[in-house]
Amino acid sequence: MPLNIVSLVSVGRHPQSGRARRAEQDSRAVELGLKLADTALTVLHVGNPDDPILRQYAGMGLPSLTVLKQEDSVDAVPVLQRFLEQKNIDIVLTGVRAESGESSGMVPYLLAHALGWPVVARVADIVAVKDGKAEVLLALPRGQRRAVSIQLPFIASMDHAAEAARQSAFAVGLRATVESVESVGEVDQIRVDWQESVAKIRPKRLKTVKAKTAAERFKAATAKPEGGTGKVMKNETPKEKARAIFDLLLEEKVIR
Amino acid sequence: MVIDWLPSVLITTLLVLAVVGGVRRANLWRAGQPEKVNIVAGLLALPRRYLQDLHHVVERDKYMSRSHVATAGGFVLSMILVILVHVFGVSSQLLAGALLVSLVLMFVGALFIAKRRLHPPSRLSKGPWMRLPKSLLMFSLTFFVLTLPMADILPEGTGSWLLTLVLSIGIVLSLSEMLFGMTWGGPMKHAFAGALHLAFHRRPERFGGGRSTGLKPAVLGGDVHGVAKPSDFKWNQLLGFDACVQCGKCEAMCPAFAAGQPLNPKKLIQDMVVGLAGGTDANYAGSPYPAGKGDAKVLGNAKGGIDNVITAGLIDADTLWSCTTCRACVEECPMMIEHVDAIVDMRRFLTMEKGKTPNKGAEILENIIATDNPNGYAPASRTHWAADQNLPLMKQKQTAEVLFWVSDGAFDMRSQRILRAFVALMKAANVDVAILGDEELDCGDVARRLGDDATFQQLATRNLATLGKYKFSKIVTTDPHAYHCLRNEYGDFDVDGVLSKGGSGQGVEVLHHTTFLNQLVQQGLLKLSAFKGGKVTYHDPCYLGRYNGEYEAPRALLESLGIEIAEMERSAFRSRCCGGGGGAPITDIPGERRIADMRMEDITQTGAELVAVGCQQCTAMLEGVVEPRPVVKDIAEILLGQLIEEVH
Amino acid sequence: MTTSSSAIVRRDPRKEWIARNRLHPLHHEVISEGLGHVIGPSGLPRKNPHQIGFIGPNGIKRIDRLKGNGAAVSQPHQAKSSDTVLPLHTVTAPDFYIFVVPDLVGGRLSVHDKDILGLAHALQADMEGKGAVVAVCFGDTKEEHFDLAGVDRLIQRTSDEFDGFSPEARAAALTQMEETWAPKHWLFPDSVHGGTDLASRLAASLGERPASQAWQVTPEKVVCRGAGGSLDIARQTPRIVMVLEECGNAIDETRHQVLPLEMPAFHEHTPRILDRGQVAVDPNEIPLAEAEFILSAGNGIHNWPQFHQTAEALGATEGASRVAVDDGFMPRFRQVGASGTWVTARVYMAVGISGAIQHMQGIGQCDKIIAINTDAGCDMVKRANLSVIDDSDLVLSELMLLAQAYASEHGNQQGSKKQENSDAA
Repeated sequence: MPLNIVSLVSVGRHPQSGRARRAEQDSRAVELGLKLADTALTVLHVGNPDDPILRQYAGMGLPSLTVLKQEDSVDAVPVLQRFLEQKNIDIVLTGVRAESGESSGMVPYLLAHALGWPVVARVADIVAVKDGKAEVLLALPRGQRRAVSIQLPFIASMDHAAEAARQSAFAVGLRATVESVESVGEVDQIRVDWQESVAKIRPKRLKTVKAKTAAERFKAATAKPEGGTGKVMKNETPKEKARAIFDLLLEEKVIR
Repeated sequence: MVIDWLPSVLITTLLVLAVVGGVRRANLWRAGQPEKVNIVAGLLALPRRYLQDLHHVVERDKYMSRSHVATAGGFVLSMILVILVHVFGVSSQLLAGALLVSLVLMFVGALFIAKRRLHPPSRLSKGPWMRLPKSLLMFSLTFFVLTLPMADILPEGTGSWLLTLVLSIGIVLSLSEMLFGMTWGGPMKHAFAGALHLAFHRRPERFGGGRSTGLKPAVLGGDVHGVAKPSDFKWNQLLGFDACVQCGKCEAMCPAFAAGQPLNPKKLIQDMVVGLAGGTDANYAGSPYPAGKGDAKVLGNAKGGIDNVITAGLIDADTLWSCTTCRACVEECPMMIEHVDAIVDMRRFLTMEKGKTPNKGAEILENIIATDNPNGYAPASRTHWAADQNLPLMKQKQTAEVLFWVSDGAFDMRSQRILRAFVALMKAANVDVAILGDEELDCGDVARRLGDDATFQQLATRNLATLGKYKFSKIVTTDPHAYHCLRNEYGDFDVDGVLSKGGSGQGVEVLHHTTFLNQLVQQGLLKLSAFKGGKVTYHDPCYLGRYNGEYEAPRALLESLGIEIAEMERSAFRSRCCGGGGGAPITDIPGERRIADMRMEDITQTGAELVAVGCQQCTAMLEGVVEPRPVVKDIAEILLGQLIEEVH
Repeated sequence: MTTSSSAIVRRDPRKEWIARNRLHPLHHEVISEGLGHVIGPSGLPRKNPHQIGFIGPNGIKRIDRLKGNGAAVSQPHQAKSSDTVLPLHTVTAPDFYIFVVPDLVGGRLSVHDKDILGLAHALQADMEGKGAVVAVCFGDTKEEHFDLAGVDRLIQRTSDEFDGFSPEARAAALTQMEETWAPKHWLFPDSVHGGTDLASRLAASLGERPASQAWQVTPEKVVCRGAGGSLDIARQTPRIVMVLEECGNAIDETRHQVLPLEMPAFHEHTPRILDRGQVAVDPNEIPLAEAEFILSAGNGIHNWPQFHQTAEALGATEGASRVAVDDGFMPRFRQVGASGTWVTARVYMAVGISGAIQHMQGIGQCDKIIAINTDAGCDMVKRANLSVIDDSDLVLSELMLLAQAYASEHGNQQGSKKQENSDAA
């Protein structure tokens, strides 16, 4: 039986230009969805069906997209919940965090809670689905992986370590049909009270020295900053040089 | 001749067969997409195009041009006279005499062609092409003997049954090659298709010394974007493929072929012919595509048909992505075939329909779409390089004499040195200059060569809208790629006449910085001291030279410094590409060697210590060659080093 | 000697006075105190040179030639400040709780965790009443200094359900705690180590709207990043807050009680997500951008099999310079630099790479750079923390021997390593 997979997509935002784009993680969700279900994949968006960014997702090879037509100010979760409940869905794929709006990353959790499904975060790959269970690889920092198995249906959010989205073909996106579905939604009331401003640059924490005496403060103020030129070994034997390198590797704990 | 009527019957039969073949062939071409061509004007212009433009290209190889003039001229003349004398039976001693003379002319030409075929260079195709000189000789000999009685040199009715048989066989064999083969796919097809190709060429501007190098815009929103199947080409492009003589001049010049990347322009065109006529490439008798780093290709496996997707079985996508769009093949082609147009057409299909731009291509295109520069830098940092340059922005000035188009070199630290050098020179000459600053976008060159014409068209339209806001009479750029786009390709989208009319209504002049600097030097606005370095050579950037015909200004500038350029063997219109064009460094198709390394060898062979360049892409590619190697500098940088600053 | 284990130095003004006064009859005795005035076997007085002087503050032996006439430095300060006992912060009968759920990467409090514990105290101090900071720990911990990190109360859940990757059980346990203690705030590290995941699960199950990516937290207001980090959202502080790194100052001046809070028995729970353990990842499978330790090859490598073996022996991910890729020795996706991959490795070892500007750009975010090169003047050596000027062949072969020796020595410890890794998640 073919899998019934839904990838949720949102309008992303390029970190450098601030321009709308297909979101990095959401497009990975589409990529994984295409891998699992090919074109039977349902790609779902809540928002404006005329958004040109949807064409960028469609360009990945989707014959059609489903859009639950809503205003920007509407809370997407109940809308999605009502839609997903009607269908017999196996897996819902999302990004970890949206690139626009609140970016709280709560959508998969709230949906899972509302639907009563398990949720896993930071998925790198879904290796196999059988007997109502999926074998999933989770991304850990520094390229490490954890294997878990999860009961269907479930919600998974995609990590950056998942396979990158395929190229979006202009013409394919142009031809895709967007099925706009009318839906009922409530305005997100809590958010109305928030003040939003352009992100300030966060100060980097300085290495503060807690100095209690004048001498210590003086020492801290005049200390040579760390770094500068590194150590250069020229005339030692190769053995000594290798030892020095190896010691540094041990010190940095990269030798396992 | 014992049976008088036999030759004329044979000739007529073969003529009729040739006409049938011609109609059939024309129908193959007509499977292509419609394209408006002025048929009558084209046919009228044909002799001139053939005798002048085509001959101009062939003339580069004196031996071949003379042999060809003799053979082809002799054949055309002979054929007309043969029809008159032997078919219509016009009995005139004069005509017969003329026929004999033209046959002798043809015979001599064919002898030279046969001589070249004794030890043919590897670029020439073998197979049926080895037969052609023999057929030519046979034709001229047969008809010579056949005509002798008519010229009253031999009495009527001379000969025996044996001679009749021999001559009849000669007529059948030679005319099969010359007439039947001409329209049914033999080597002589080049004459028939070639003539029509010249008449109905897609870029008639190229004739009469003109230049037409800008790519044709892709039609967006149709059933197919770019070329998927041979039938998606314009009909006259298909005709152009058929015109190929397989001389291999393109193959000899192609940098990708020399680097062992899987591209051979000649084979590509022949594969297009396979595509339009159907069948396999089993009969191809030239050099195959180099194997690159993969397995060598076996001929006969590539299958094509007019409605088969080209990249599914006829040619590999890697072949298309190997091209640097340097136009060396187009420049060299005696038949004026447009290889680059065809390659980009097929790339458009791969990118816009398939989403299969290889390697970094997809990422670069996505960056261009989201940030208007290929490497995804913040658009707001575009002017950071000029923080200390005190360059006015168009936004503030609204009007300036010169608009300096900075290009994406603004983001690259090496290119910024070139930009600064050029700015310093303009300041020294007191040029009224301004830049667009962050309003400038990528010119779209990379997107277009990678086949994403949708993105190119968007960038062009947006750039034109920005340009339309300001008044200036010149656009100057240090980037030949941007220069080419602005000068030759933006016109198709310039509905408001921003460039053609300009703010002043006079039209805007788009100049490369070497041209502009040369004007300044000529006007005495730049005081330069003599250059006292070692030997200097100059590398012609493809997009400046072949695309825009600017070979002189850079050389004049170097000469104004007292430099005697140690020219490379391949320079000016034969300059070898650095490997940086057409998105080739992005698609990065593996070969046996790197194009930039080969170009650096060309440079070192001159013994030069410094190579002058007029393009930041060339600078980057050539500087990427492992040291020791000659120093690479943009002409602006060299000039700045010799600038005598006046103290006010 | 007068050394005492206590760091409090007691001065003896009388002795100091005698030491200063060379004419005092007891001067000699006081000065030579502790120097062991010994009469040798020959009857001559002997000085034991090892007992002269004292260990200075920087660990180097000092001899006081002023004979104590300088400042009171003669008092040996051997007691280290680590022994100083910080004042104990006690909370009895707290008015409210602030719960912190640290990541405990590798079973220990991370810097991020400690910052958040500090932040919890700062919040507590600004609020009415007296609060206690509670740390919730799952599984076995190796942390020994909860007291110094600011943990007033500790909840430790160590049953089997919480071992390894068990987000559902942990979230259920947190929900249960909410029912028991109703903390004023829940603070989580907003991290990939599980903090975000757990916070989101708790928030969803409690129906609370959490603040994520918070970077300014006061009792009234939080400022959070939104829209992919491009927006600051200021809002009322909700009960559940996920805090970014470096947003609070770790506790360093007080000790805390670390009193255990007893939890009622855990509700029966059937997990729908089963942990199958961490997967062994070949270092060369790790994407270059994520790799922690990269061994990178350039034009100076001639023995490629040796390079690959070394990378394998060291467990390093392989990288390459553009030239090495162009020459076909390495695949294109291994290229490091502006036109290849921008790497973030903690240790980047460049073998035979002189360091073109594009390459240096690509390794800008690396912590420690090690260069092996024959040219001492190249840019890579200038940037490197440790440079070895030698033929790469020799150094790599020595390195390989060291790595192999280390591996055979530590091979028996692999089992315990695995354990640590699973805790790390």
